[in-house]
Amino acid sequence: MRRGGNWVFAVYVAGVLAASMSTLPASPQQAAEGPGAATFENAVSPVLANTCSLCHNRQLASGGFDAAAFLDPASLASKREGWELILQKLRAGEMPPQGIPRSQAQIDALVQYVQGEFAKTDLNTKLDPGRVTVHRLNRNEYANTIRDLLGVEFRAQKDFPTDDSGEGFDNIGDILTISPVLMEKYLAAAERIASRAVAADPLPKPFSVEYAAKDKRIRRVDSSSVEASHRIDFDGEYVVRFALPGERPADAKPVMLGVWMDGKLVGSKMVETKPSGLVFFDPYSEEEMRLALPEGDHVFRASFIDDDFVKGLAPRDLYNRKHNKFIDGMVFVGPFKPKAAPASRARILICDPNSGPACVEKIVGALARRAYRRPVSKAEVASLVRFVAIAKAHGQSAEQGIQLALQAMLVSPNFLFRIEHDANPTDPTAVHRISDVELASRLSYFLWSSMPDDALLDSAEAGRLHAPAALDSQVKRMLADPRASALAGNFAAQWLETRNLDVVKPDPQKFPEWDPELRDAMRTETSLFFDYILRENRPMADFLDSRYTFLNERLARHYGIEGVKGPEFRKIDLTTGERGGVLGQAGVLTVSSYATRTSVVIRGKYILQEILGTPPAPPPPDVPPLDEAAVGTSLSLRQQMEKHRANAVCASCHSKMDPLGFGLENYDAVGKWRTLDGKFPVDSSGTLPNGKTFATPAEMRAALVSLVPQFARSLVEKLMIYALGRGVAPYDRRAIDQITGRLADQGYPFQTAIYEIVRSAPFQMRRGELIQTQVPANTEEASK
Amino acid sequence: MNITRKALHRRSFLRGMGAAVGLPFLDAMVPAMALARAARPPLRMAFAYVPNGIIMDQWNPAHEGRLGELPRILKTMEPHRDDILMLGNLTHNTGRALLDGAGDHGRCSGSYLTGIQVKKTTVDIRAGVSCDQIVARHVADQTRFPSLEVGMEDARQAGDCDSGYSCAYTNNLAWKSETQPLPPILNPRALFERLFGNGVILSPETQARQADYRRSILDFVGEDTRKLEATLGPTDRRKLDEYLSSIREVERQIERAEKTNAQIDPHMEKPYGVPADFAEHFTLMSDMITIAFQADLTRVVTFMMTREGTSRPYRELGISDGHHPCTHHQNKPELIEKVTQINTYHATQMAGWVAKLKSIREGDRRLLDNMMLVYGAGLSDGNRHLHEDLPTMVIGNARGTIKTGRRIVYRRETPMCNLHLAMMERMGVHMEHFGDATGQLTFADLA
Repeated sequence: MRRGGNWVFAVYVAGVLAASMSTLPASPQQAAEGPGAATFENAVSPVLANTCSLCHNRQLASGGFDAAAFLDPASLASKREGWELILQKLRAGEMPPQGIPRSQAQIDALVQYVQGEFAKTDLNTKLDPGRVTVHRLNRNEYANTIRDLLGVEFRAQKDFPTDDSGEGFDNIGDILTISPVLMEKYLAAAERIASRAVAADPLPKPFSVEYAAKDKRIRRVDSSSVEASHRIDFDGEYVVRFALPGERPADAKPVMLGVWMDGKLVGSKMVETKPSGLVFFDPYSEEEMRLALPEGDHVFRASFIDDDFVKGLAPRDLYNRKHNKFIDGMVFVGPFKPKAAPASRARILICDPNSGPACVEKIVGALARRAYRRPVSKAEVASLVRFVAIAKAHGQSAEQGIQLALQAMLVSPNFLFRIEHDANPTDPTAVHRISDVELASRLSYFLWSSMPDDALLDSAEAGRLHAPAALDSQVKRMLADPRASALAGNFAAQWLETRNLDVVKPDPQKFPEWDPELRDAMRTETSLFFDYILRENRPMADFLDSRYTFLNERLARHYGIEGVKGPEFRKIDLTTGERGGVLGQAGVLTVSSYATRTSVVIRGKYILQEILGTPPAPPPPDVPPLDEAAVGTSLSLRQQMEKHRANAVCASCHSKMDPLGFGLENYDAVGKWRTLDGKFPVDSSGTLPNGKTFATPAEMRAALVSLVPQFARSLVEKLMIYALGRGVAPYDRRAIDQITGRLADQGYPFQTAIYEIVRSAPFQMRRGELIQTQVPANTEEASK
Repeated sequence: MNITRKALHRRSFLRGMGAAVGLPFLDAMVPAMALARAARPPLRMAFAYVPNGIIMDQWNPAHEGRLGELPRILKTMEPHRDDILMLGNLTHNTGRALLDGAGDHGRCSGSYLTGIQVKKTTVDIRAGVSCDQIVARHVADQTRFPSLEVGMEDARQAGDCDSGYSCAYTNNLAWKSETQPLPPILNPRALFERLFGNGVILSPETQARQADYRRSILDFVGEDTRKLEATLGPTDRRKLDEYLSSIREVERQIERAEKTNAQIDPHMEKPYGVPADFAEHFTLMSDMITIAFQADLTRVVTFMMTREGTSRPYRELGISDGHHPCTHHQNKPELIEKVTQINTYHATQMAGWVAKLKSIREGDRRLLDNMMLVYGAGLSDGNRHLHEDLPTMVIGNARGTIKTGRRIVYRRETPMCNLHLAMMERMGVHMEHFGDATGQLTFADLA
């Protein structure tokens, strides 16, 4: 098949490319050259031999590491991974440990020398951009792509099976598979989506579904509100009827009846509550609204808005028909044909398909180009146009034929997968730049979790996209677009684990304040905070400590911050040291806790893994757990943890995790500020892996800010994994070094990380696959 | 088979599916699912899995041979004593570290039905074809669904799952290929629609048209895929092969569905979402599995009650600590008690299901007699992550080929895969090798 975009070059030589795409980092060894230049013997050997080998010798080999193996200059080439680990420990200040005499100047010189040697080596090594496996759209990408392609809201998160994740993200090409169940879902979804978008099918006869209190099919949220979960089977208009038994006194005022779908107000009207004057044994009235409702599972809530009357009513009279008028049920009748056709219909039917084959081809061609996110060939259009004939053969209209063609596109591998091509798919040395249209998709799925829009695709098809200036201006435009909030929803919510707010279940006895509203507020805070740093191009250090956050009334109350009224979120300047940065956000603090209590271990691990990028080794089995009953009664948590660390096996990791976790002990398991844990005063003093100590969360945040270089590197790695949809490998280090170098030069503005990833070789290039032969397991056919 | 209002009284169905009721739903479906019965009812195989090990001294009966009084966890199973076979000393060696370090939960779940020591990775997952899928492939042309994968707990959404093991290993039991896990259906509504359709009544013409359209679409995308594959590398091709094989399976289903032409009442209330109550959720899922067996929609089921390593609290039992943290009980009586209660709760759900399977007649037998349902876990002692003497119970006598009502204790370290081999054999698939199996498990009478 033909590939889109201009395909001028097939194979590039690494050196040429590296030079044409971006400059390499200023090599640190240059400074050290000239007379008295550093050598392995004068910069490396003394530290290894005199300092490291105190513990890392053949007898002790602390941490399984013997420094003697690294005394040979050849080890720089032969033991690169080991050296990288040494560099990481030295740079982070984790080694040498406290109490070992050290000369920082010597250590800096060692780090600089080794980094310089590596930079030299890398310059002479062939560039390896890695290879991204063909990538199935995950649930979020699918839903966003359908939204941007057709203007149809489809909630794939509810309909499709959960996507498995790896490396902390659910957009890893290797892990995203297709099962028969998912294929069935794709087929069914394509039928419904195409039908909704073209709106050429007749609606079925209306029917009614009733939700009444007497059948226990509605939930009473409070005395003025009821809620029911209802599935709307077709886009269309529905008459929603509200059963309103009872009456209020003759002087009662009318009240506003509102109806919400999934938390959004969709209709309201004034309702009379005083006696009707008609003779009723059992006073009762109904109200109805005709609403345009979208297909899908929804939660509907009906409520009397600001209903002051019930506040003066005795609880036993709330549902007494002689004393109150209340909402007792909802009935949905529909679907009815909507007055206006959906916008998607006009967008698809750009000419009258009954006018002849030229128009049909035009419609199908335009749709396919956008659905496949690349130019389509004449043959491809022809094979799709066939569906119009198939539909007509079944006695259906040309519009329904286009609907069928669209249905086919939506299950085609060209739609469901992001596919990139190689001239030599099995030659790992065939390094080449991806085509401009492939680049457009990489870019849009990175920044928007969705398809390229017309501006992006046009630029790619014209062959302009790969030009650095054009690319930068597209990134700038895309980051300013509302769709870029996908980075907060998909990248940040997985990086910071706030997606797990959906699955955590804090103990209602211990945390009665926990409810869906608080949970959603927590999620929104972190999401808006990330979005702000991104869009305002704030320094990355803001993630670690900031003098602002985003709150609504509910969350502000949770934080004990006064003066925030109403459900809307707004930026709030923080005036005390209690909060600041992601580690002071309730969502982060909740997902890193147990259901009943905080865990310094989980939180410490969280900081090591998500913030510092140095996850601890996994625990051995048979771990002694905390004595839950004793915490806060006989021993403080800290005393217990210290007991735990007396065990040498535990200590090796817990001496790093726990002291970090203690820094967050002022927040309970749902992130509320506290100064007592049980009957013990909270002691939130602790130590960073580099030995820096702190006494309060605010001091810990300040200390973390001093580790911005390490944090930035970790964040860049995670962004890179997310951007590429694959794990990072040793050959990506070059790009990551370069990106973090640029960030450092500019003071770590967050957007620079995005721009630099887009500019990097792993993002713009690929190579053929290295074939490993492996015997497949359990695939031998059954022998009879 | 034609399910219409006649067979299915609408009101009973409404109530059955709407609220916390399971049995009326099942009752309502049974007459509707009037089966075109084969001369001989088929044999079915199912696995019901619970995570984080079991308190073994409350699970293992004291003696070999005929089952007497059952230990605490299995108390509610006592009425079914004659229909269960308790197996001792089955081991999954591939669940052990074997130089791969921590991650017993990810590993034991990944190896449970594959018998493979899964690759320790968070990216390029690799296990093996699971025994249920080997059978599913074999019986694929005889039922609408080669297999059903059912679960009750949503996957963890972010973070890592177990010490460097991808969540794919803990989210899934069934593996269609070494790189293609089959995700379980968690939502009763989704399972309902998969089995019975979405309830939109279609005229025979509309139905025929829809099937024809689907077939043309599948032909079209199959063609597209083959064209694409020619230009791709081997890993990419493997991904598209998964896609193609899924297409072929859906094609088969369309064929089958056309033959059976089942329809349900479009106004009928369907399950909405996931019930908050564990028992209610279990009842809905197990009822639908039962119907799927009864109607011969499938013969192979894997049912993962909750995920390995789950921290689900059991508020139903007044336990607000997570299941997993409790299992690292360090021999503290109060934690062991909590885990025992959770184990007992799970077994109680199973007992309720078994009672239903026994109550359904199939020819001159009970549905359960044409089944072998394994109930068990991938760890024995969850505190120490032990992979030997895995708690394993076979329920149903597989058409009289397994003598139940007993406990058999095998030699130590008998591979679990031997059980898989024996079960596959009964399902008509003879394999010489599977995982680390040393031969088919024999259910010889030791009494």
